[in-house]
Amino acid sequence: MLRAMLRDLRAHLGRVAMTLAAIVLGVGFVVATWVVSDSAAATVRGGGQRTDVSALVQLERRAADPRRPGIAPEVVTRLAALPGVSRVEGVRSGYAALVGADGKLGTTYWPGTAGTDWDGSQRFELTAGRGPQRAGEVALEYQAAAEAGISVGGRARILLTEGRDDTATVVGLFAYHPSGREFDPAVAYDGDTAARLLRSQDDDPAAVPGFDRVEVSGAAEDALVAAVRGQLGADYEVRSGGELREELARSADSDADVIRKALLTFAAVALMAGVFVIANTFTMLVTQRTRQFALLRAVGARRAQVRRAVLAEAVVLGVVGATVGVALGVGLGLLGMRVLPIVGTVRYAVSPWAILLGYAVGIVVTVVAAYGSARRAARVSPMAALRTDAAVPRRSLVLRTVLGVVAVAGGVAMIALTRAAELDEPARIQAMAGAVLAWVGVLLMAPVLVAGVLRPLARVLGARGGPVTRIALRNAVRDPRRTAATASALMIGLSLVCAFATVGQTLTASLTDEIRTAVPPDAVVVRAAAFGQLDDAARATAAAVPGVGALAVPRLGGAELLPASGKGVEVQFTALDPAALGTALRPRVTAGGSDLRGGVLLDEQRAAEAGLKVGDEVRLRFGAADAAGGSTGAEVRARVAGLHRSSELLRGVVLDQALLPAGVDSYNDSMYVLGGDPGALRAGVERVFAARPDVVVLDREELLDELLAPFQLVLGLVYVLLGAAVVIAVFGVVNTLALSVLERTRELGVFRALGASRPLVRRTVRRESVVISLYGGLLGIGVGVLLGGVMQYVILANPVFDMSVPWSTAGVALAGMALVGVLAALWPARRAARADILAAIATE
Amino acid sequence: MTSFEAAVSAEDLTKRYGTGDAQVTALDAVTVAFGRGELTAIMGPSGSGKSTLMHCLAGLDTPTSGRVWLHGARHGSADRVELSGLRDDALTALRRDRMGFVFQAFNLLPTLTAWENITLPLDLAGRKPDLGFADTVVDAVGLRDRLHHRPSQLSGGQQQRVACARALVSRPDVVFADEPTGALDSRAGAEVLGFLRRSVDELGQTVVMVTHDPVAAGYADRVLFLADGAIVDELRDPSADRVLDRVRGLESAARGRAGVGAGA
Repeated sequence: MLRAMLRDLRAHLGRVAMTLAAIVLGVGFVVATWVVSDSAAATVRGGGQRTDVSALVQLERRAADPRRPGIAPEVVTRLAALPGVSRVEGVRSGYAALVGADGKLGTTYWPGTAGTDWDGSQRFELTAGRGPQRAGEVALEYQAAAEAGISVGGRARILLTEGRDDTATVVGLFAYHPSGREFDPAVAYDGDTAARLLRSQDDDPAAVPGFDRVEVSGAAEDALVAAVRGQLGADYEVRSGGELREELARSADSDADVIRKALLTFAAVALMAGVFVIANTFTMLVTQRTRQFALLRAVGARRAQVRRAVLAEAVVLGVVGATVGVALGVGLGLLGMRVLPIVGTVRYAVSPWAILLGYAVGIVVTVVAAYGSARRAARVSPMAALRTDAAVPRRSLVLRTVLGVVAVAGGVAMIALTRAAELDEPARIQAMAGAVLAWVGVLLMAPVLVAGVLRPLARVLGARGGPVTRIALRNAVRDPRRTAATASALMIGLSLVCAFATVGQTLTASLTDEIRTAVPPDAVVVRAAAFGQLDDAARATAAAVPGVGALAVPRLGGAELLPASGKGVEVQFTALDPAALGTALRPRVTAGGSDLRGGVLLDEQRAAEAGLKVGDEVRLRFGAADAAGGSTGAEVRARVAGLHRSSELLRGVVLDQALLPAGVDSYNDSMYVLGGDPGALRAGVERVFAARPDVVVLDREELLDELLAPFQLVLGLVYVLLGAAVVIAVFGVVNTLALSVLERTRELGVFRALGASRPLVRRTVRRESVVISLYGGLLGIGVGVLLGGVMQYVILANPVFDMSVPWSTAGVALAGMALVGVLAALWPARRAARADILAAIATE
Repeated sequence: MTSFEAAVSAEDLTKRYGTGDAQVTALDAVTVAFGRGELTAIMGPSGSGKSTLMHCLAGLDTPTSGRVWLHGARHGSADRVELSGLRDDALTALRRDRMGFVFQAFNLLPTLTAWENITLPLDLAGRKPDLGFADTVVDAVGLRDRLHHRPSQLSGGQQQRVACARALVSRPDVVFADEPTGALDSRAGAEVLGFLRRSVDELGQTVVMVTHDPVAAGYADRVLFLADGAIVDELRDPSADRVLDRVRGLESAARGRAGVGAGA
């Protein structure tokens, strides 16, 4: 019997082609995830792992004075004299930032703004040219060079500390392999030049800089480490090469794990869409073979045998799909490793776990998806063999609908029970869990929604429209489960795309609103490049620009807010000149006034939490780092002059900079200049900062673009990763249509005999496909936007319905779904149009 | 029947299936004409080629050789169309506009109501139904109270009557009925046949009906007997008994030709 079923499977392999494609894609995604994360880890462990460090010497943190001279050269001499030492290398590190073609620092976070001294160790892996040997030569990290548009033979301008800069000929490009955790350098000079040029920003410009760390190599690692420790004493931290390698491997593994988990989440979404596609296919395959099952039962097959036969089919399908999927996944993974920016030699790792997991996922997902159909097939009565219109018994939708309603109601209740004002961690988790529950509920209710939403629509449009629309719509709602399963698969991917789009749009809108509120349209923004800070010189330069009316220099930091009674809370503060507030930088005041001479502005949310009102007195405790690394609290008393809504640029407590105690940690990365003709002002500001690669001049919208860029990047990545789920769902639409067309052979024959032309038949199938796709699309977009509403509520504590609807994404998604409908129908429609009229209407 | 005017005619119609030893001749140079305003029954044992003849006449199947004409009535004799050589689109339009069909079963589109099924050929042509005529037809088949039901909510007889109404509502040049009572009990069958008869008598409709049931053939104006792909006999104004006699005669002749056991 099993043999009969398998032969059967082979005969209708065409019918399961799309299901196979779904399994292949899902498995491929999982396996590719595994291969990429394993390979990334292996690359860091293998290619990036250095074998030439037996011990690494650094200054103990508490001995590391911010204005330290570093490790003295005589330490290196002493270590070199130790027995068993084959190599000692002092490593320098200092501020050195590569200036790009536009005269400004790059905007990438990595590699950073560090420089070092070239040596022959495994720290450097040349990718082009040679190492620097004398003054006037420099080697660059290859990606930094690519970003700055400089190649070997070119001239590189490098910004150093205290406004110095250096121009040198690029003699080589390198990939960097750290010996421990350190800032990866973008620039390497020869030893003497490095000693002359490189300083840390904290260094005393007058002092001779020492080494940042010392690498020691030798044969017997343990003995060597012990000897080094004995030589140096407690001010130095000495770690063995083994420790370093282990640390690096651990961090590589944990990085790989982060990548793996993130990717697996998306793979799981794709698999979930796959489950719907596979389950739907099996349902249709079983329905089509009702009489065959009845016959098997009539000739003596037990229910369990029929069930096992269907499950065996699923296993075979799963194995075939997993085999192709594993191959695809390995291929994709290896391809992915080529695309990823990886330092040095890429190591590919295809672990047996990846392959085993691929097979497990393929088989388990297929069997789970087919289980319901197998049970239904087993319940076919032997009597069905005698009837022409026999149908597979189906469980009623009542249970599923009830579960769906309960899940939606429960999910909504879970969200409703949390309150924006007190959204702590458990409440956030509860709200998010509620959203997921409601989302699952909608999936469960999908068949009822088809009946409840699509059917009335089909009735209205079908009664009015021509035969194509009428038949297409009626066919689409003919089997609500089938349409629901098809649309659900689409909904899964699409709803998540729309949810993320909604969150992105809301964050964008709220950030845009914050920036546009805070910064006047005519303001010129002076901002530190490459994630740095502005210095006193820059601030003085800005103030001296002719025509400057108002200048806001916000310094941001952390403090403790102490109400008259009760517990203190951590707050952020923004300190600036009272004259600049309301002119160059505008707070959104919700109560009281904004004159900082009369007191401080409190964040309205904090004020509400602490029960503070305008006119109350508050104390602010500022922590200042002292020389010993501890903190001294300086306390400031102030009246609450007003309340405002905290924003990206004016955070937390806004106060007069004169109130800020000396020595308080704060940072300042932007200034806002206002005055006179905006064009002339900007030209003036740009002119004075032309020679400062570390300072960029922007207008308000450019600042906004810069702040929004990371969101766009993340969103783009998320869309790509969710694409797999959508593609799988598209296969599902093709599958449903193809199998439906097969089922309707007879009907199509009558349709053709009565005078439906081939193009008309094609149009009918295509329209049905578009209806199903659009239904899935609308459901996905609707659910997605609501899900996004909850997500932005959880993230921002905005009211749920205050989300910004991503109209453009929704429009594109809907248009995309219409296109998907048309494309998915191509093949099934051709099949339908080719149906042989005679074969279709023949009675026997 | 003094002036015999053909609605459909065929000349030297031959249809062969397969090649070489496996070749089967379903129709062997059949030349035939079907009179306008007549109900003609085609009878014959299984495998005699009667369905193939009808399919070729209706443009559902392509003959191996020979020609088929559809003679337009309303448009004068100039409106004679030869089916052979027409492309699929033209044949489709011809079926839609100038022919009606009633099959043995599965006649109706399950998602359309009875009324929508009846008006489907007109819908496909983009024509508005002539409501007065449609009403006449609907009343004639006695389906007024069932028009908004789906096929699954109708009995087999009712479904067949819907199919008949659909075949007539576009006033085609000819209605082809392929074993229209084959899947019905005798009472429902009699209703359908009575209705086809009345469509000829009262509306002047031309009907060509394939059947193996002598009782059904008894409703016809003329019965053609087919055996081995050729017309072997003909009967005018038959009764069921005369048809049955003729069938028996043919069957014994067939047995005589092919030996014992043939003709089943």
